[in-house]
Amino acid sequence: MSHSLNEIEAMSKRAARGAGLSWGLAEEAAKGTRWLSSFGFPGTELLAELLNLNDRIPAIDVSPVSLRAEVWHAPARRMSPLIAGASLSDCAARLLERGKITMENVSLPLLAVPFMGGAALRLGLPVAAEWEGARLATDGKRLCVQASPEALRLRQAPTLVFSAPAEMTGQQEPLLRAEVCEDSWSQLEKFAHRTFAPATEESRLKGAGAGVSDND
Amino acid sequence: MNEILCRDPNTVMRLARLGSMHQSRLSFMRVLTRRLAREQWRFEQTAFEIDETGQGHAVYTAHGPERSYSLIAFAHDLPPEKRSDRVIAEAWDATFTLFDGVPTAEDIDRLSRNIPVQEAGRVSGSELSVSRANRSVRLWEHVVTALASGVQPDRAQIDAVGYLMRTTAVYGSGKLGAADREMIADRPEFRAPFQVEMLSVYLTRWFVMDLVQHMANCRAAATGTTAAKLDIEIARSMGIGNSTGLGMAPFLLNHPVLFNNWVAARERAIQTVRNIAEASPEDVSLFRGLVERSKITIAKWHSDHPIQIEKLAGLRSDVAKTDHYLEAHALTGMNPWDGLYRWAEDALTVEGQEWIASLMLEPYGALVDGYAEEMSADNTATFRISGAMTIGDLRGLLHEIYSWAIETDWQAPQNKARAWYVSEEKLEPRLGERFEEPIEEYEQPLAPGRDAAMLYRALAHWPDEAQVAEFLLRHPEHRHVLRRAQIVGRAPYAEIRDNTISDRVLPIDMLRCKLSFFGATQFDPRSDRWVRICMYGNAPLPFELTSENAEFWVFPNLQETAA
Repeated sequence: MSHSLNEIEAMSKRAARGAGLSWGLAEEAAKGTRWLSSFGFPGTELLAELLNLNDRIPAIDVSPVSLRAEVWHAPARRMSPLIAGASLSDCAARLLERGKITMENVSLPLLAVPFMGGAALRLGLPVAAEWEGARLATDGKRLCVQASPEALRLRQAPTLVFSAPAEMTGQQEPLLRAEVCEDSWSQLEKFAHRTFAPATEESRLKGAGAGVSDND
Repeated sequence: MNEILCRDPNTVMRLARLGSMHQSRLSFMRVLTRRLAREQWRFEQTAFEIDETGQGHAVYTAHGPERSYSLIAFAHDLPPEKRSDRVIAEAWDATFTLFDGVPTAEDIDRLSRNIPVQEAGRVSGSELSVSRANRSVRLWEHVVTALASGVQPDRAQIDAVGYLMRTTAVYGSGKLGAADREMIADRPEFRAPFQVEMLSVYLTRWFVMDLVQHMANCRAAATGTTAAKLDIEIARSMGIGNSTGLGMAPFLLNHPVLFNNWVAARERAIQTVRNIAEASPEDVSLFRGLVERSKITIAKWHSDHPIQIEKLAGLRSDVAKTDHYLEAHALTGMNPWDGLYRWAEDALTVEGQEWIASLMLEPYGALVDGYAEEMSADNTATFRISGAMTIGDLRGLLHEIYSWAIETDWQAPQNKARAWYVSEEKLEPRLGERFEEPIEEYEQPLAPGRDAAMLYRALAHWPDEAQVAEFLLRHPEHRHVLRRAQIVGRAPYAEIRDNTISDRVLPIDMLRCKLSFFGATQFDPRSDRWVRICMYGNAPLPFELTSENAEFWVFPNLQETAA
């Protein structure tokens, strides 16, 4: 079904929060899923898969141990692409200094790609991401994709390398609507539902604070 | 003389002041009517297929220089027990969508299956908004009865309510599958915020006038008589009501850059006018005239809520003080508006200060209307966290923005008595008692003061030279508020500098602030978290809109009321 990008963003934020991510990371997940969807990628499917994989686990276990390490790796031996990506965006200046940042064992690497868009905008230079069978580059607004469909859906990339500045070839413009697969949407709904307080009579009466009757 | 600066965000962004804001030239409905008149938009009713029970649909199209937009209205016969203004309602007296262009019969058919059920339906990128409205039962019945029996409705009853229908939600920006703002943001007519919603409401008011006349005509015809035609002056005096709950409060907190841009535009306008060295006699006379007209609105403004009753008493006494000031001061000296504002700051209540601040912009459209162009926002650039910022700089930033919060005792129950949450019942936003209800685990991040204070504490043992990126890697739980602090560092009016979860918080302050930027008047709180207002009261109806009446319609005409 065709969805607006705002719907995708709102649903992704709630779902990510429902799966235990902090609000700040849930916001990153939402922006990232929106960004992927706007380029025709199955953003909601990837996010649903990741939330199922990392449901309610401590973020620190799937975060880089150190941002100064030569190769970023996570204690759990698999890194969340959202946390890896958010850290990459936070380290945009460092990325340019070092020329590249290499990460190990990143789950669903495509989910980390939107964050290099953020880094590219901050640097004012294109940034590229490469893993086995895939190379993507963006200046933050357009995207170049050279990848096989399998590589884009890879469950875990042994090595993921971000580099800047990168070259842009064969550019793709974002779209303003997205097709969403119903199954992924209902999975996100299931996670999102955890953020809603159950209905109680008291909260129904007092929580919204409306008048008693609107027949006036 | 030194240049007068913008007002300090630590003064402006307090809840008591935000909750005392008044509409101004920069309010979104006035921005819209000025544009519609300037560009000579043309309006037509292209369908009105509504039966004698009040059910059916109607279409109203607005034709602009490049594009047309159509309000498709569905009218329903709603039993009283289903009439609720809350989000949890499932049926309404009327439902609407603003369509991008002119709808075909297929579009109307598709929408007739989706718009009447609102959140339970789906719309497409051709729809720009989805909304609904309920009747003011008393006034509706009075007007239909009066017209059906061949007489005009009673002016006092009209004034006491001010509208025939009130909208209970106007959804835009991609909600329910509608077009995202990004799809239309580059159209000049939608450059200012909420223009889609404001256009939809403006056309809705016209539809409501037609519907009430139609119902009166049907009732008269049933008894073999002819109904009176609603007097255009009476029709014009009525606006569209709006009934608003907590949903608007999170909006302001969740769109900090947008909120900053609204407040900053108004503050820059105030600054510009305060810096005017001398006022021309025409400007002074216009201002004095509008003060008189504004007094009519203030006299008519009614509320039964104790908080608003007290504020209104203050405002009415402010009006009397302003009269004295204006008798004693000709506004012919140097910096007359700054003089007036400084006097107001000392002499008037906050409600009166904001009334004067908005009103003194009126003569200066040429200087201030352009600020409306800067009121929308693109969040892309501000969303990214600057990870290279040092902890020392972050600490400084937190001190600057959140010193009130850092000094607050967050262990004291009264300072965090409430929690914002979303109910599973149609996702209705609610505010609960943290220590009395099982809601804390569902808390939304709508208490930036408390969160900033916690961040400040968490930073205590980090060295100044460490970087924010390192801190966030260890503390993802502070990512949300740290981003906020960086945003406010660049956009100082983005943050409400007050406690949004204390036992004394009044969510209506946030609602009123947002609604004042829409251009609403007659704020009438129904509780501490629910408010009714009036939109487009006194506005020319679309078919009579001209450049002459598009400018100051919000102020009732003196002669008309005297008559």
